[in-house]
Amino acid sequence: MNKEKKRKTWQFPWHYLESFIISISLLLIGFIIEWISGDTIIKLPGWPVNLILILIVISYIIIVQNFFKTSIVKWFSSPQAAISAISILTFLILLMGFIPQNDETTAGFAKTIGLTHVTRSWPYLLCSLYLIVILGFTIVRRFLPFTIKNFAFFLNHAGLFIVIVSASLGTADLWRLNMQLVEGRAIFTTYDNNGKSFNLPFAIKLLDFKIKEYPPNIGFYSLKDNKLIIEKKTQLVEVKEGNSKILGNWNIIIEKYLNGSKKDSLGYDTSNAIGAAPAAYIKAVNQISSKEISGWVSSGSFNSLMKPLALTSDIELVMTIPATREYSSDIRVFESMKEYQDYTIKVNEPLKVHGWTIYQTGYNEKMGKWSKISIIELVRDPWLPAVYIGIFMLLTGSLYLVWMGRSKQTKKIKNNDMV
Amino acid sequence: MTWYNYSTYIFCASGSWITGIILIYILRKKSIKWIADIFLIAGIVFIGIFTIGLWIELERPPFRTLGETRLWYGIFISIIGLVIYYRWKLFWMLVYSLLMAILFLFINYFNPDTFDKTLMPALQSPWFIPHVVVYIIAYAFLAVSSLIGLLGLYQLRLNKNIKKTIILADNIVYIGFAFLTFGLLFGALWAKEAWGHYWTWDPKETWAFLTWMVYLIYIHFRVNKKQNVKSSLWILSFAFVILLICWFGVNYLPSAQTSVHVY
Repeated sequence: MNKEKKRKTWQFPWHYLESFIISISLLLIGFIIEWISGDTIIKLPGWPVNLILILIVISYIIIVQNFFKTSIVKWFSSPQAAISAISILTFLILLMGFIPQNDETTAGFAKTIGLTHVTRSWPYLLCSLYLIVILGFTIVRRFLPFTIKNFAFFLNHAGLFIVIVSASLGTADLWRLNMQLVEGRAIFTTYDNNGKSFNLPFAIKLLDFKIKEYPPNIGFYSLKDNKLIIEKKTQLVEVKEGNSKILGNWNIIIEKYLNGSKKDSLGYDTSNAIGAAPAAYIKAVNQISSKEISGWVSSGSFNSLMKPLALTSDIELVMTIPATREYSSDIRVFESMKEYQDYTIKVNEPLKVHGWTIYQTGYNEKMGKWSKISIIELVRDPWLPAVYIGIFMLLTGSLYLVWMGRSKQTKKIKNNDMV
Repeated sequence: MTWYNYSTYIFCASGSWITGIILIYILRKKSIKWIADIFLIAGIVFIGIFTIGLWIELERPPFRTLGETRLWYGIFISIIGLVIYYRWKLFWMLVYSLLMAILFLFINYFNPDTFDKTLMPALQSPWFIPHVVVYIIAYAFLAVSSLIGLLGLYQLRLNKNIKKTIILADNIVYIGFAFLTFGLLFGALWAKEAWGHYWTWDPKETWAFLTWMVYLIYIHFRVNKKQNVKSSLWILSFAFVILLICWFGVNYLPSAQTSVHVY
């Protein structure tokens, strides 16, 4: 302890105090630059400048680490520097975790210093740069000698380095375009998130948009509270012909179920028309009073009314709107007027074509299963393979952590009683 | 099997575990102490049967709601407690894990979930199960590490030698952290398939990343073993607070009202 006291600040080797002074200063400088630069948006350089920049940084680190073994270079790969870098970034992201991001309505001090758009702000940029540089020096220092332990260390640290660097540099080359397909029309115009339009070198035609639904449910609706009564633990009654279930004091029997229906003078009849809502003929028997009530119930749709069945003066039986199980688009991709190929895309099953990945993202929700519109997103991310390499290095490195724990290092401790 | 049958199974499981713990204590020097093991394992089997039954009844993997994740947490933390008990002979660890499991299972009993079969399209992916399972395993390990941390702080107070405790904490954190990394990266790979990008700073993602970073600080702080052990233990406790915010708290934060991880 006495030694520590004698050591002056900024005397090598640097410790936590110096490391944290540096990282906190970087954060504050970041806030100041953000404050001065005002609304100017940081633009990271795109291909190929981003690649050249990172190669320069890597070569610089390798040369400095190997040929200039000064105290300050040693500090760059020290755990103290690493902790200061991780902590300051954690602090910044912690603020981000509490302050709503990209919310146009918040203004004021938080916005001035970049806290409403952390990931696009100067403090974030400086803190991540600091982390990347320290990570770089650490990787180069531990690269040799080649042992399994060092290799696992390399996988974890270099994997993280590759992921952070390629994900950040990749943002400049990342394209995310939205496209609204309309059934029967070939379209090649797309829009980015700012509404700017781009024409694709190929066209896409929506052949058919399909939705699969879960069966609707029957439940009690309280007129007093104006809401569906959902009792914990219990399931609502799934609508299936012949299904019966006890709900509260009532035995609910589904006598007839129409997937699509239209209302006529007698009741409901099968229909395949657009907007034909599901309907069911239900018998409800009160188990205490044996009172029997039967009638039609329908969930309604965008162009037909919902139909409840009154049981008592303040309880009605209602049918819920069916939940979506799956939606997909059959599309035709045209390279020219004559050359085309057909595909199906759905959520979690994107399509890779002409260097783009096409995702199913939405549809006209008001029209539901009758939607003639399918919303898709086209993504092009040339840095993705690099990110994946980093991810798989991290996964492999983590396997080593599970397998070894800290046991190897702990053997050393047993011999000296420093802890 | 629905949540209606739940009470039978959790009472059986809790009963087996408590009997097992008592038997370990009573039979600790006798040759028939294996009877205790049977009770301990039986408890896990009861919860396992219920979960499989629920899975079949729901026609989807029961990983969607908070109540369902609590169920899995109960299973994993009890298994981890048992393994640690057999491996390191830590009786208190077993008692703690099983009590935690019982607590989580009873939260579901007193505050039951609604029974909901639907699974929205974004969750219908082969990544769904591995993503949630590794996260729950990670959380279970890290919860254990935080308790070891508290034990360490207590031992420090009594001026005991905590060398063994901190080594155990390190090992458990390494394992938990590795699973946390798996969860994070599986999530990223899945997000790429489902939403077009591997990282979008969704509030839950932000907090998951924060959790990962705080444990990273602990691990790096421990690189130098001569360091102040007390600070390490405090970092460990703080890390668990961040983890809890990530797991439950996020839903209540104003910054998270647009999250895709709503449950």
